[in-house]
Amino acid sequence: MRHSIVALVLSAAVTVGALAMERPAQAETLVKIGIVQATSGGSAALYGTMQKNAAELAIDEVNASGTLGDIKLVGIHQDDGGDRGQSVNIFQRLINQEKVSVILGPTLTTAAFAADPIAQKAEVPVIASSNTAPGVTAMGDYIFRTSPPESMVFPGVLAYVKKKSAPKTAAQIYGIDDALMKAAYGVHKKALDAEGITIVATETFQKGDVDYSAQLTKIKAANPDIIVIGGLAEETANIVRQARQLGIAPSTRILGANASISTKLAELAGPAAEGFTVGSSWFIQYDNPRNKAFVEAYRKKYGSDPDTFAAQAYTSVYIFADAVKRAGGVSDPKKLRDALAATKDLDSNVGPFSFDANREPVIAPKVLIVKDGKFTLATD
Amino acid sequence: MTAAAAQFLASYSNIIDLCLLNALVAYGLYLALSANMFSLATGGFMALGAYCSVYLTMEMSQPFALAVLAGAVLGAAAATLIGLPVLRLRGDYFMLATFAFTEVIRVVALNWDDLTGGALGIVNIPRDTQTWHLALALVVVIYLVHTLRGSYLGRAIAAIKQDDVVAQTMGVDVFTVRLSLFVASGFICGAAGALAAHLNYFVGPGDFGLVRSVDALSYPILGGVNALAGPLVGAVFTTILPEALRFSSQLREILLGALVLAVVLYLPDGALSVLKPRRRAGNSGGGKATAAAPRVSP
Amino acid sequence: MSTFFQQVVNGISLGSTYAVFAMGCTLIFGVLNIVNMAQGALFMGGAYLGLEAARLGLPAPLALVVALLGGGVLGVLSDLIVFRTLRARGGHRWMGLVASLALARVMVGLAQEIFGTQVQRYPPSAFLSIAWEIGGVRIQLLQVVIVVVSVVLMALLAITLQRSSTGRAIRTVAFSEDVARIVGVPVGRTIMATFFLAGALAGAAGMLLGNLFNVVSPFMGDQMLVKGLTVIILGGLGNVPGAVAGGFLLGLIEVFSVAYVSSSFRDAIGFGLIFLILLVKPTGLFSRVEDRRA
Repeated sequence: MRHSIVALVLSAAVTVGALAMERPAQAETLVKIGIVQATSGGSAALYGTMQKNAAELAIDEVNASGTLGDIKLVGIHQDDGGDRGQSVNIFQRLINQEKVSVILGPTLTTAAFAADPIAQKAEVPVIASSNTAPGVTAMGDYIFRTSPPESMVFPGVLAYVKKKSAPKTAAQIYGIDDALMKAAYGVHKKALDAEGITIVATETFQKGDVDYSAQLTKIKAANPDIIVIGGLAEETANIVRQARQLGIAPSTRILGANASISTKLAELAGPAAEGFTVGSSWFIQYDNPRNKAFVEAYRKKYGSDPDTFAAQAYTSVYIFADAVKRAGGVSDPKKLRDALAATKDLDSNVGPFSFDANREPVIAPKVLIVKDGKFTLATD
Repeated sequence: MTAAAAQFLASYSNIIDLCLLNALVAYGLYLALSANMFSLATGGFMALGAYCSVYLTMEMSQPFALAVLAGAVLGAAAATLIGLPVLRLRGDYFMLATFAFTEVIRVVALNWDDLTGGALGIVNIPRDTQTWHLALALVVVIYLVHTLRGSYLGRAIAAIKQDDVVAQTMGVDVFTVRLSLFVASGFICGAAGALAAHLNYFVGPGDFGLVRSVDALSYPILGGVNALAGPLVGAVFTTILPEALRFSSQLREILLGALVLAVVLYLPDGALSVLKPRRRAGNSGGGKATAAAPRVSP
Repeated sequence: MSTFFQQVVNGISLGSTYAVFAMGCTLIFGVLNIVNMAQGALFMGGAYLGLEAARLGLPAPLALVVALLGGGVLGVLSDLIVFRTLRARGGHRWMGLVASLALARVMVGLAQEIFGTQVQRYPPSAFLSIAWEIGGVRIQLLQVVIVVVSVVLMALLAITLQRSSTGRAIRTVAFSEDVARIVGVPVGRTIMATFFLAGALAGAAGMLLGNLFNVVSPFMGDQMLVKGLTVIILGGLGNVPGAVAGGFLLGLIEVFSVAYVSSSFRDAIGFGLIFLILLVKPTGLFSRVEDRRA
C-alpha cells in the first residue's frame, strides 16, 4: 500500500516536472556536438580527459550565456579508448544515428587519419584540438584544427634561442613510437638545419620508458649547446630532470615541443625545469580576460589546471558556437562549414583566433620559459 | 523500413566489418590453440600482411587480391621460420618467442621509415576491402576448419590437444601437425592484416602490437575452443562489447576486464558452454575431472 | 672512459629494479607453472600504495614496507579471487593467462578511477637528490640506496626460500604438487604464500622504480611486465637466481645497446636476444642441468 502511494506521488511529481520542463524545451533547437576523446585505454586518456572536460565546460557556458538564442548545445562524449577502430565506429554512429552537427576530436592523430575521412564524406565538420601532425587538415575541407602544428611554433622558439645564445650544436631526443613526436622531430630537425646548427646526437625513446639516462649520457658525451626534446609533458619532464641529474650544465638550454606544455611539467621536473624553453599559442598565465575566466572556471569545476589541449578544446566550442550564430543554425552543413572557415579574429581564450585557408589556426606563437616553476613569457 | 535499415548500416557498417575481420583472426588463432599453441604472434603476422599488401597496392600498383594473397603468404612464411625452431620447445617458450616476434616486428616497423612511415604510419590507403570480401574469407575459413575437424588430421589434432606425448606414441607426427597449423594460422592472420590495412585508410605500427595479439587470443578462448562457432561468437562478443558498454566510459575498462574474468572463471569452456547446460551437468563431477581427464584417457 | 662507467652505473641501477620485479614473476612460474600477466599491475599497485604512504608523511623506509606488504596483499587477493577459482575449476591451461590479463585490465582500470590517469611523483626530498661525481661519473645517493635495497630484498627472498618452513614448502610444491600433497604440505596455503612473496616483490619494485625515475602512473606496469618476461627467459623460467642475474644483465644490455648501437633498436636487441637464447639455450643463460624443474 505504502509503495503504491509513494509511486503515485512520484509519478505525479514526475508529470508536473515534465510539464514544467516542457515549455522551454519546445522553444529550443538542440544542436548535437560529438566529443570523441579518449578517457580510458592508456596514455591517450591523459590528453583526452582534459579536452573532454574543457569542451563540456564551454558547452555549459555557451548555453548559460544565451548567446545562441533558442539553440541549445548538447555535448555527446564518446570514449574511443585511443583505439582507432573504435574511433571509426563512433564517428559512423555519431554522424548517422545521433546526427551530430560537428565532431570535436579525436584525441590521437592516428585516429584522425582513420576516422576523419568518414566525416568529410558525410560533410560533418571536425575540429581537432590535439592533432598536431602534418597532413590532418589536408584530408578535406571539413577538417579543422585549433592545435597549431609544431611547424608554426618551433622556428620562432629556435630563432629566439639563437638570438640569446647563438648555439652551434644541438642534440635531439624524441619519442619514436608516437606519431605526434615523430612529426615534431622532423620539424625540429628541419628548423635546426635551416638555422645552420649542427646536430651532434639523435636519440629516441618509446612510450612507457621512464629511464632516459643511457640516451642522456650519450648526449652529454656529445656536449651539445642545446638539447631539443620531442616528447609529451610527462616524458619531457623526466628527460629534463634526468639530464640535470646526470650533470648536464644549466648553460645547455633545453627546448621542448609544443605538446609538452603543461603545468605538470614544472611539477614533475621540479627545479630542473628552470630555463626550459618552449613555444605555444597558449599558456596558463596568458593575460587575457577570456583566458582568466576559462582557467578559473576549469579549476573550479574539475579541481585541476587545464593544459594546452584543454584550452584548445575549449576554444573549439566557442568557434563552433560563433559559426552557428553566423550561419543562422546548423540546417545547412555547407553554410556551417563556410562560417567555420570564415572564423576571423574571434575573441577567445587563446587570443584573437582565425583559421587560414588550409583550416589551420592562425596564431601568434609565444616563446615561454620556465621561471620559478612557472611558464612565463620571454620578454626580451 | 529500408530507410531504417540503411541508417543502421551506415551507423554500424564499421562494427560489422570489424566483427568479420576479428572473427577471421579468431579462426587463425583457433587453429593454433586447437593444438595447444598459445600464440602471441598475431600482431606480427598482421603487420607483415598489412605492410606487404599496402606496399604492393600503393607502390607497385598491383591488384588488391594479389596484395592480400602476398600478405597471407608472407605471414605463412614467417610462421614457418619461427615455428621450425621454437615448436620443438615446450609451450611457454613458444608463447614467449611469439611475443618477442611481435615486438621485434613492431620495432622494425617503427624504424623502417621508407616502407612503413614509422610512427606516422601510412595514410590515404585505398579503401579496397569490402564487407563481402571479409564475409567470403570468413565463410571459406569456417568451411575449411569444419572439414578439418571431421578429417583424419582433425582427429590427430584432437589427440595432440589431449596429450601430445600420447599422440606421438599413437603415431601422430606432433611436430609436423603443429607446424602446419601454425603456418595456416600465419596465413590467415597475414591475410587479415592485409584486409585490415585496406579498411580504414590508415595503418601504423601501433595497430599491431602486443595488445592486438592478446585481444585476438581472447576471442576463441572466450567463445570456446571446442565448438566450431566458438571463435566467431567470441570475436563478435568482444568487438561489440565496448560499444554496448559505452554508457560508462570511465568504468568500461573495469567492466570489460571483469566480464572477461567472469567468463573465464565460471564458464571455463567458453561462453558457448552456456548453451549446453546438460553436458556441463553431466561433467559436473567437478571441473577438475575435465582437466584431469586427458591424462587418463588413452 | 667516464662515459662508459656512467653507462655501467645507469645499467646497474635500472637492472636492480628489473631483478626485484622478475624474481616475483619467476617465483610464480616456478611454483604454479603459469606466467602471471597481472604481475605488472601489482607493481603499479605497490607504487601507488608507497606514494600514498609517502604523502601521508611516512619516511621512505616505512613507505617501502607499505608498498611491500600492500603488493603482497594484492597478490594474495589475486590468488583468492582468480587463481584459486581457476585451479578448482580446472579450466583449460591457457585460461590462467587470459584470466591474469583480464585481472590486470581490471586493476589498471581501478587505478585510473581512483588515482586519475595523470603521472604523479614522489614528494621531493633533499636527501635523495644528493649526488657525487667520481672521475666524471655521476652517482646519485638514490641509485646507491636502490641497489642496496634490491640486494637486501634478494637476500631476504633467498633466506626465506632456503631456510624457512614456508620456503621449504614452496620449493616442494614447485617440485611437484602431488609430492607436496603426499608429504603433507598444505598446497593451497603454500601457493598463497608464493603469491604474497611475488606480490611483495612486485610492489617493492614499483616503489623503487617510481622513486628512481619519479614516475607513478596507472600504466607503468605494462612495460615492466614486458621487461619481466624478458628477464625470466634470460634467467630461465622458474630460476630465481637466474632472474636476479637476468635483471642486471637486461639493464646493462639495454643501456649498452643505446650507448653503442642505437636507442631506436634497444627493444629489438632485447627481444632478438630472447629468440637467440630460446634457440641456443632455452633453459636460460644461468641454468645448470640439476637446477631445471621437473
